[in-house]
Amino acid sequence: MRLLLVEDEMLLAAQVDKYLRDQDFVVDMAADGETGLYQASEFDYAAALIDLGLPKLDGIALIKALRDKGDATPVLILTARGAVQDVVKGLEAGADDYLAKPFAMDELLARVRALIRRAGGHASTLIRYGPLQLDPVRRQVRIDDELVPLTAYEYRVLEYLAMKPGHVVSKAELTEQIYEQDFDRDSNTIEVFIRRLRRKLDPNKRLGLIHTVRSQGYRFGQ
Amino acid sequence: MPRRTRLRLQTRLLLTTAAVLAASFGSVGWLLDRAFNAAVRDGAEEELRAICYGLLGMFDEHAGGLTATGDAEPRLQQRDSGYYAYVDDASGRPIWLSPALPTGSALLATQPTSQRPAVGEFHFDAVANREPPQFVAAYTVNWEVADMVTTLWVLADQAPYLQRLAAARRLVIVGLGTAAALFILAQLAALMWGMAPLRRMARRMRELEAGSRDRIGDDYPPELSPLAHNLDGFIDAEKASRERYRRAMDDLAHSLKTPLAVMTNALEPSVRSREPSQSQTLLREQLQRMKAAVGYQLSRATAARGFGGRRIALAPLAVRVVRALERAHVGKTALVDLPDATAAVRLAVRGDERDLMEMLGNLIENALKYAHGQVRVSVRESSEGEASLLIAVEDDGPGVPPTHREAVLRRGVRADTATDGQGIGLAVVQELADDYQGRLSIADSEDLGGAKFVLSLPAA
Repeated sequence: MRLLLVEDEMLLAAQVDKYLRDQDFVVDMAADGETGLYQASEFDYAAALIDLGLPKLDGIALIKALRDKGDATPVLILTARGAVQDVVKGLEAGADDYLAKPFAMDELLARVRALIRRAGGHASTLIRYGPLQLDPVRRQVRIDDELVPLTAYEYRVLEYLAMKPGHVVSKAELTEQIYEQDFDRDSNTIEVFIRRLRRKLDPNKRLGLIHTVRSQGYRFGQ
Repeated sequence: MPRRTRLRLQTRLLLTTAAVLAASFGSVGWLLDRAFNAAVRDGAEEELRAICYGLLGMFDEHAGGLTATGDAEPRLQQRDSGYYAYVDDASGRPIWLSPALPTGSALLATQPTSQRPAVGEFHFDAVANREPPQFVAAYTVNWEVADMVTTLWVLADQAPYLQRLAAARRLVIVGLGTAAALFILAQLAALMWGMAPLRRMARRMRELEAGSRDRIGDDYPPELSPLAHNLDGFIDAEKASRERYRRAMDDLAHSLKTPLAVMTNALEPSVRSREPSQSQTLLREQLQRMKAAVGYQLSRATAARGFGGRRIALAPLAVRVVRALERAHVGKTALVDLPDATAAVRLAVRGDERDLMEMLGNLIENALKYAHGQVRVSVRESSEGEASLLIAVEDDGPGVPPTHREAVLRRGVRADTATDGQGIGLAVVQELADDYQGRLSIADSEDLGGAKFVLSLPAA
């Protein structure tokens, strides 16, 4: 199986390369982000191992660029900056797993194998605000464990608002967030979505989920 | 210790102005009053003197005595005019009474002043002991032909003069009062206007603390703008130096970790393959200690609550961290359990987003790692009196036996005792929680059966 290793530390790269070759992998190496992106775009890899701190194009930008192209190669981040923030950013950019340096080779091997095996399967997170429950993967909403059928747009509006509790979100911001580019951007439809959401989620107006802030927009929560 | 009351600047200035106004307007009023009083008295004296001289001209003297020729002036003739006059001789026997003064009038019973003036002298006085109070003028004349000494007494009620005085006084009071009121109003307006930049600065300072602003700004009058400028400079410098420090620490971590990884990897085959030599084992141990120290000490060093940390909303942050980390833990389900929308808005901590992510991230990563299938992250306001937030991270993994709990939390207190890759995250959380005046504790998860880490942080 063929792997891509994007790492600018040559000694470490050589060690990883040797170790993985001993395990019968074929390893292509790139020493900077741009080369990495080129390689990943040109060839098909079972997985890519990407260091976050890379010259020319950093790891996060590289992963984003890959994902924007629709490339679904499983990506393992190698990070020397231990901060959770970097890991979160890397995963948000589209990486599938991470490994903090310095790592043990056995651990690396185990992660790479797991990554190739799982390819595609994804996580599930549920978010619960009191009686309201969101399932971002299935795009489902429940109130008091009762499924509330929402359209994809309605769900997007609700999720976007719920991710910013207490913040006023303007109609323009909502329009921008929920529509694909070049779509007809009529902000009146937002009002329609909000009205439908309120009717579906809170017909008796007891939850007070979405508030209208006059001439500014909408707010999730008081 | 009793605190000294600190008056507001505005109050101080107003009080000072009021005191100065009271003192100056008071003395002006007093002086004016005295001047009016003197003027009224002088006026009365002039008037009575004229009447006196008029009377004098009315008498003709001859060897047998005095004869009044012609009429006295109209005011003396008119009853209730308030003007009276009489003439008496040295023994007090009346010789002539003005028409308005009936014989036997009480006014004649006593002499208006204690002594009659000497011959040729004019005497004027205000007599308060009479009812009504009167002005009195007296003039003693020696009639040589008639060979007698008489005194002319002219009396006038003070009432009309006092009325004039009262009217003048009212005018002074109204005038000065209006002036004072206008002055105070003007002062208030000036204060509002003058204090506006200070109030603006104070408001922006609060916003700065709350994190909704990152500069004081430069739109201040010349007296304040150096201060504002210095404050902004200070804030910028502090931010920049914190950022620089953090970057330096990051770079240090980065540049230490890679060689450590290379060394560890280089050592690994020989350590594993056969009986490792003593020096190899020693080298490996020391490398691990260095790894732990770098991981723990450096992330601890970069955690710094700077000036005016921002208000960080925990609900979206928790969701973000869980959703990101969960990508790397396929097959496990995480639930972010928040109070209802309205209460969720209040879940915020003042500080640095990176620090909070570090705390949440380490706890959540730990839970995802040990969970068999389920993780629950819940954020709540503490039900106890103090304003704190409770972040509970639970899993359905093996849990932490009570006897190990203290050790798990203490690990990293001395980083060189930590074992490879273990517990450093929790030690960092513990350390950060201390910095934030928070607390980390371990319990059993009642619902999921595994470990339950509870992080309490002061609410913003």
